[in-house]
Amino acid sequence: MNNSRNSRREFLRNMGCLACGGTAAALLPQLHMMGTALADTAAGSGYQALVCVYLYGGNDAWNMLVPFDTARYNTYTTSRSGVYNATTNPGGLALPLPAASAKIIDGNDPSSTTNQYFLHPSMPEMTTLFNQGKLAFVVNAGSLVKPITMSDYTTSSANYPQQLFSHADQTNQWQQAYAQQGITLGWGGQCGDLLRPDNVNTQLSPCISIAGANRFQVGTSTIPYQMSSGGLTNLSAMCNPTPCSGVSTSSVRDNALNAMLAETYANDFAGGYSAIFQRGRDLNNLLSSGLAGTTLKTTFPTQNSLAAQLQMVAKMIKLSMAQNYATRQIYFVTMGSFDLHSGMMSGTNDHAALLTQLSQAVNAFWNSMGPTDVNAQNNVTLFTMSEFARTLQSNGSGSDHGWGTVQMALGGAVHGGKLYSNGGGPITGFPNQALNAPNNFARGQMIPGIGVEQYAATLAQWMGVSVSQCNTIFPNLTHFGANNLGFV
Amino acid sequence: MRAGLRLLASALVFGFAPLAGATVHDQLFKGTFDVPPDAPTSTSDAARFLTQATFGPTAADIAYLMAQGRSEWIDEQLSKPATLGEPVVEAVSNARTAGGQNVGSNQRLNRWFWQAVYAPDQLRQRMAYALSQIFVVSDQSSSIGSTYMVPLTQYGDMLAQSAFLPYGQVLLNVTYHPMMGRYLNAFRNVKATFVGGVQTTSPDENYAREVMQLFSIGLIMRNPDFSPVLTNPLDPESTVPTYDQNVITQTAKAFTGFTWSDAPKGSGPPNYSGANFYTGGSNFAAQYAPMACWGTELFPATGTGSNNMRHDITVKTVLGDGGVGTNNTIPANQTCAQDLTDELAIIATHPNVAPFISRQLIQRFVTSNPSPAYIGRISAVFNKPGNDLGDVLKAILTDPEAENPPALCSGTNCDSYGKLREPVLRLTELWRAFNAKAPAPDQYGEVWMLGYGNFLGNFGQAPLESPTVFNFYLPDYQQPGVFADGNLFSPELQITNESTTYSTANVYYQFTQNAYQGMTNPRTDRPLIDLSSLTVNATNPTAMVATINAALFYGSMSTTMQTTLKNMLSYLNGASAQEKAWSAIYVAMLSPEFAVQR
Repeated sequence: MNNSRNSRREFLRNMGCLACGGTAAALLPQLHMMGTALADTAAGSGYQALVCVYLYGGNDAWNMLVPFDTARYNTYTTSRSGVYNATTNPGGLALPLPAASAKIIDGNDPSSTTNQYFLHPSMPEMTTLFNQGKLAFVVNAGSLVKPITMSDYTTSSANYPQQLFSHADQTNQWQQAYAQQGITLGWGGQCGDLLRPDNVNTQLSPCISIAGANRFQVGTSTIPYQMSSGGLTNLSAMCNPTPCSGVSTSSVRDNALNAMLAETYANDFAGGYSAIFQRGRDLNNLLSSGLAGTTLKTTFPTQNSLAAQLQMVAKMIKLSMAQNYATRQIYFVTMGSFDLHSGMMSGTNDHAALLTQLSQAVNAFWNSMGPTDVNAQNNVTLFTMSEFARTLQSNGSGSDHGWGTVQMALGGAVHGGKLYSNGGGPITGFPNQALNAPNNFARGQMIPGIGVEQYAATLAQWMGVSVSQCNTIFPNLTHFGANNLGFV
Repeated sequence: MRAGLRLLASALVFGFAPLAGATVHDQLFKGTFDVPPDAPTSTSDAARFLTQATFGPTAADIAYLMAQGRSEWIDEQLSKPATLGEPVVEAVSNARTAGGQNVGSNQRLNRWFWQAVYAPDQLRQRMAYALSQIFVVSDQSSSIGSTYMVPLTQYGDMLAQSAFLPYGQVLLNVTYHPMMGRYLNAFRNVKATFVGGVQTTSPDENYAREVMQLFSIGLIMRNPDFSPVLTNPLDPESTVPTYDQNVITQTAKAFTGFTWSDAPKGSGPPNYSGANFYTGGSNFAAQYAPMACWGTELFPATGTGSNNMRHDITVKTVLGDGGVGTNNTIPANQTCAQDLTDELAIIATHPNVAPFISRQLIQRFVTSNPSPAYIGRISAVFNKPGNDLGDVLKAILTDPEAENPPALCSGTNCDSYGKLREPVLRLTELWRAFNAKAPAPDQYGEVWMLGYGNFLGNFGQAPLESPTVFNFYLPDYQQPGVFADGNLFSPELQITNESTTYSTANVYYQFTQNAYQGMTNPRTDRPLIDLSSLTVNATNPTAMVATINAALFYGSMSTTMQTTLKNMLSYLNGASAQEKAWSAIYVAMLSPEFAVQR
């Protein structure tokens, strides 16, 4: 789609919306109508938000959720090259078996031989939320084109996604929920395309990133609004908000800048930069004073980047609800450094340190959504994505790239205290962790039993996207047994 | 469809450019004519070339280039020795440590920006910066952090010293550098271990994967013009993977056995008493010397002392030239050095290397969307026996597609030539254009450039500070909208968003309004720009805008923008000459036209 900025601005002026910067559908009435016609409004009442916590680098999820019962724990320990010990087994990656008090029970599994697990000891907050029924795990999910077994994998490369084990490609495939190369749309952005028409404010994108550019939030007509966890800053020596009411040297500069941003550009890069800067100015005008006046009662951890991002999400949710900006929003925050090829079990930035930050940040966010603060625990679902789990087998001080992984979902609407490991395909349940078990590779990389699209479609449907819409957003969804995993 | 039309148009523009014979002409007439035959046609043309090839045009460099011509200027730059950062940063680090001051990335970055602005080997420094965005190493990794700030500086020096070597030699230098070792885990990577005959660990796969995916060949087979090799020409999805997971696991074995160069190797045979793979790195020199490899060249493969032999000497079935399913074999029982020589030669001679590296270098210097023909021409230079990366860079900068931008179309979004200027380069261009004067060294001998710093947070980039090995932006990033719709690439737009446009602007404010010569209470933590070329014309907006147009826009500023700036300066008639001057620079630096290098 290729509209000139001139006609766009003209349209905005005609609508009496001088400062509007928003996204393409805000500008084109026919798109808005199309969206309304498509959107499933059954679940459209009240505010709902998804918060995606993306763990860049490939979280070693097989050390986040571990079998507790003796037989499976011993298998885990053997495959992970033994329990880590700084002096006697520095290459081991297995966690020691914790006290029975740390044990959690999968509410979906009545069998005591297979329903006992524990979480990484750095995540006591998540253990508590699981036991409270607010947190669920989706087990052995990964990028697939259809449900397969090892024999399907070895039969034909057409049976599995391209570029497995590559960070960038698998990140894209998770954020697309579509194991396809050469496309640029994310599943969050496509949900935004459909859900946005119900949002009152057409200027503010339904997709808001506190962590920079990402594919997840890019839709056909939705572009994420990118904020910093520090909030909004003023533009030096200009008008904030713009324009100024009086005349000053700042207003003169400000007018010149605005004139340049209002210009049309032949060159794509100039036009692209200008559009982003203009959106930044428009959204600063809309949000700056309201955000500055929005406070939370919950204390968030310091020295924790994810916590700072989630704190900004909490403020934006509070502000959006108070100002009735939107009924549907999709947020994106990230943590990095999960690519622990070395130093996984020791050092200042080891897996334990990362999971500590993750658990404390998510817990603070959950508390901030509580009834005495923002009061939106039932309106918000937080979930993780990460491109892959890692080899069970050690490389001497860490683990390498794997495939099927474990994700978690948290919220008042989540049917928590349970593991979700059955997508209706041939591989179900918590995987057998023996190296070279029937559906594992030699170093303990798991063939997933659940496709990313099943995970994503479940979350999308909670937001109000219909099954038929899901089949469009997730072209391979119909290849899988279940289009909804039921965890939310 | 639009992209197709544009390619056709490019072919028409560039197809008949006079390529052949230029070299002969140069030699025949050299010294006879005052104006070299390939001299820029104007100071604007010269400034545009220097915007591509350096950290920003200066008046002196423009004049020099006009006198020399492009080819001779490049040749002279290719022969200039590398300006080094490590000796300076090491001295500052020692002085600060002795004075009880902490040392960190600021010390490295102060020196980096000083070199970018003032080093005479501009082309080499710029190439080192481009290479640092391909062979990524970063202090954002806890395995480097501020602890290894000095050897990380030397990694940058190594790239500068390697900048014009043959690609294979660069790859070798990168692979053996302990900062790359630490960043991607070849450092202290060891052969598989066994307990009771059962294998319990395998070599770390990180470097094996990224050296192929990011530093050399990429994920799918490419033609010399970077187009994907297709098994079915009608099916764009029928690409051919370059390798599979098994090749990664096998290649990982080659990159085992590395540790600090000074790790004690013990008393010699038979017991090698005192050998310790896990110590060393005891001083700065040892922290940047090429890593030692504890293979059979140092220790026996079996028997007494063989516990020190950390390199995997089993046979390795590695990358083949023809895509997945084709393989090369590295025989068993070789020394570590021989394994590395073999493995890196296999990678460096893969047919993908020329298009894969050439395209990224073109993106860093000239345009985000080079035509296939442009990439193909550079690949041919890349692959010519005896050529090095200096030849490649010269070909990139003297290609007709670099020298002759297509005429700017009239309309909106009808032109995708050029690239977004990196935020870091916009800053160095300001300093060089306006003769920024660096402050005197502080008591620790350090020249401060950074001001309040935090360029990574504010710009989304800072040298050797990439958040991940995937650089600040991907060569294949497609901004949603015009770029994605047109299947066009826009790497630098990946770090350009509503937040960073503001934070970047605020940094530029700190280096204009808050950093000019003659200001009261001048800052001592940043260079001060010289506003005199503007203040001399403080009552003449037309002249001031002309100065800015020449200094920052190589004369390309549109008449519309010129009018906007002139009006702004007229309305500022009550302001001081200095405020008019910095306002004109500051607002110009935020403009969409300055954001583009075209």
